[in-house]
Amino acid sequence: MARYGIFVDLNRCTGCMTCVIACKEENLTPPKVWWERILEVESEPKNRIVYFRLSCMHCDDAPCIPACPEQAIFRNQDGIVLIDDEKCRGHGECVKACPYGVIDINPDETYFQGEKLPYESTPDPYQVHPTGKASKCTLCVHRIEQGKEPACVAACPSKVMVFGDLDDPKSPIQSKLPGSVQLLAAQNTQSKVSYKIPDDLVKEIEQKIIDNPHMDR
Amino acid sequence: MDLKNTAPDAESSSQKKTPAGQQKEEIGYTFCDGCNEVPFCGIKFYKKGDTVTNVESWPGFPTPALCSKGYATLQRLYNPNRLLYPMKRTNPKGSLDPGFIRISWNEAYDTIVDHLKRIREEHGPHTVFFYVGDPKEPRAAVQRLAAYYGSPNYGTESSTACWRAAHLAALLTYGFPTAGDLPTKETKVMLIWGTNPAYSGSPYMCHGELADAKERGTKFIVVDPRITPTAGTLADIHLQVRPATTAALAAGMMHVIFKEGLHDKEFCDNWIHGIEELKDYVKDFTPERTEEITWVPAEQIIAAARLYATHRPGGLKVGAQGTTHDSNATNNHRAILMVPAICGYIDIPGGIIKPSAPLEGMAPWHDGPPEFCLRETMNQMRDLRLDLKAFPAWAEKFHEVQTNYLVEWIKEGKVKAFLGWAFNVMIWPQTHEYQKAIERLEFSMAVDYFYRPWTHNYVDLVLPAAMNYERLAPFAFFKRKIFGRTPVKPLGECREDWQIALEIGARLGDQDLFFHGDVEAACNDILKMWGLSYHDLRENQQEGVLVPPTNPELFKKYELGTMRMDGKPGFPTPTGKVEALSTDLEKHGYPALPEYKEPLQTTEEFPLVLISGSRVPYITHSKWREDAPWLFELQTEPLVTINPHDAAKRHIAKGDTVILKTAYGHIHAKANPTIMVRSGVVSIMHGWAKANVNEIIPRLFDPISGFPAFKEIPCEVEKC
Repeated sequence: MARYGIFVDLNRCTGCMTCVIACKEENLTPPKVWWERILEVESEPKNRIVYFRLSCMHCDDAPCIPACPEQAIFRNQDGIVLIDDEKCRGHGECVKACPYGVIDINPDETYFQGEKLPYESTPDPYQVHPTGKASKCTLCVHRIEQGKEPACVAACPSKVMVFGDLDDPKSPIQSKLPGSVQLLAAQNTQSKVSYKIPDDLVKEIEQKIIDNPHMDR
Repeated sequence: MDLKNTAPDAESSSQKKTPAGQQKEEIGYTFCDGCNEVPFCGIKFYKKGDTVTNVESWPGFPTPALCSKGYATLQRLYNPNRLLYPMKRTNPKGSLDPGFIRISWNEAYDTIVDHLKRIREEHGPHTVFFYVGDPKEPRAAVQRLAAYYGSPNYGTESSTACWRAAHLAALLTYGFPTAGDLPTKETKVMLIWGTNPAYSGSPYMCHGELADAKERGTKFIVVDPRITPTAGTLADIHLQVRPATTAALAAGMMHVIFKEGLHDKEFCDNWIHGIEELKDYVKDFTPERTEEITWVPAEQIIAAARLYATHRPGGLKVGAQGTTHDSNATNNHRAILMVPAICGYIDIPGGIIKPSAPLEGMAPWHDGPPEFCLRETMNQMRDLRLDLKAFPAWAEKFHEVQTNYLVEWIKEGKVKAFLGWAFNVMIWPQTHEYQKAIERLEFSMAVDYFYRPWTHNYVDLVLPAAMNYERLAPFAFFKRKIFGRTPVKPLGECREDWQIALEIGARLGDQDLFFHGDVEAACNDILKMWGLSYHDLRENQQEGVLVPPTNPELFKKYELGTMRMDGKPGFPTPTGKVEALSTDLEKHGYPALPEYKEPLQTTEEFPLVLISGSRVPYITHSKWREDAPWLFELQTEPLVTINPHDAAKRHIAKGDTVILKTAYGHIHAKANPTIMVRSGVVSIMHGWAKANVNEIIPRLFDPISGFPAFKEIPCEVEKC
């Protein structure tokens, strides 16, 4: 039993997209599906551009769970919010319910039309993304089971993220949490991803999420 | 032209015969060539048989992390559009469709060797130009080939537009090459000038280390016209400088440092040649005048100068090209180097270091180990170099030929053939002139991963290169630590760059000198300098092999006599001092002080300044994009970044199609209004074939380095 979360230090994020592609490489998500996204916010008065990673917040009170008419979304024993592909029928209610806009529906597309590349020919179960089903970050639960960090956290060259058990007082994430905030906290989702945000840009970032949840660059 | 039709299915891959799923998973190691460093960031990969299935950062490797491109090398490896077979053109030059068809390696090599032998007889071997673009990996093997064949006319992308101008500035000023160093625990202040390590490496994805230094309390001054993530996340002071005015800003900072007596007087008096002339020169660069020239507010210039000179020791980080893409490239960059020099920050802990114990017999792979490269032979042919007259100070320092006058040399019949590894015609300003010139050659060939029409439509042969997972050479070294790699079998008939160069050499006549085409034997010929072979690298695969240092780590080596070849105290320059006044430049009739020169003037018609060459983290030059759709998906169109105020004045909104024009041409792109660029500046990524910014850049070159003016051309942006 754990309650896994991620701390994200936006003082260090450069928007380099490494986490985005490391996630692609790990989970082999189809085109147009980003479990890990980077958005950017500009503030002219502060002369600052801030980049922020956006992915499933694995909320303790996740709006996607009750929204699903098939009860396909559940929280596992470690607090990780997951979608059961067997039960999901692709209604898309979760997509609408998620205030962070981080759930996609898998399209019937591959990166090379009609071609399966060698590394795609024998996918691990977590790399299978059935067309028409809801799709989102799993916190790399398959890696956590092997004692590894999620791929995005492990890959970040700027060491922006710290992964840990929010219930474990000894976890390195604890020292990072003071002063951090949850995004769209007013929605009471009890997100388990916390952000340290420079230049008091919380409102601008939240507005960006609301306006542009699909990494429109 | 459908290249895939040239590849019979039966041979398309070995994976089909032995499904990967039935095989045991094994571990392998290689390096990434995703940006254009030579074997650099380490990749640990998982494979089943010869199929790579997963990649991650190589644990414990000197470079701490892969970037997006590193992960995407997996998707690139299996891109179905890869070149898999040697090909020759069947339609005459100038045809819309070159009509490339598959040929055998034998036919390819026979063609190359026949041309090389014929041209040697008819015109002399020096009329064959050898070239290595991106990646840099084959440079050592190609130099060996050029030297043996008899041509000193060997050039690279570095001797066209990347690093060598900054390198030259460092050699002329300090006497040793440096792009500065990462901050150590001693470093109190960092000056990061014209580079964005968050995206562009140098020395690698080091932003995490810079951010650590900031958390330790190191101060940062970042000079860049753009709000890069480096400036955004690190800068205590960000000087948003007008492009191509580097020497003026540096002079302005030195003005303040001298005026307020903040310079290191002892170092200046003892170790700087031309210190009085420099002081005299910067007298006119008052903060107010410097503001007028550079657009940087006077108070920021003063604050930056004070911060840098009073927080001892200060470090420096410059890039490979950010400050050298203008018509005053070399002296602009020399001016930067004088700022830490007058503060005495050279070769002290936390400052700018000349390595104490570089690996004996080795040089960075962008130069290559001299003996293996047959540098002596190359040097003996020096008189036949094509760039001697145009760039004498350059030709004195580098064995690489400055390539920018290739058009003229081909027109004048001085170059008859061109052998290019990974070369990209879009590197040159007025690209079409180079395309036409290459088309006129008697023979040309290219080695590459993909068919790239903007280059390959103009050559006779295209050869398929093995990718990073399929290459053995070169090995990697960091300081004194050496690492090997464990390649999988190449797809199709791909061969690694080194193998191709060695096999051409062997067929030209000297099988032994070219190791009968055996890449491992060639590597062993280098490794034997330290009593090693590739076998030793495999035995110590993940942790590498350390060659123990023969010299201790020392500082202030200019006092000790270990900086110069002759063992005398001083810097490895003609005067033995840091040269504010360059004796080499003086000798060749160039301005000897790092003087400011006003860049091209904006006009009513072209009121903005165009910069290109800034990095996007998931693109390198003309590479990537469709090479790996994971990356291409992040940006499918060329984007012109323009300040929101400049955009609003022109009624341009995000996503609008715009015309970007200069006095030399125009291109179309999508507008991206952003505060990232300051008002008055417009930026676009280079290397987009459908919007090649270098077509609207003139062939205007820095007289010392020959570098093109990619970052000073007046332009205008209009809504379509």
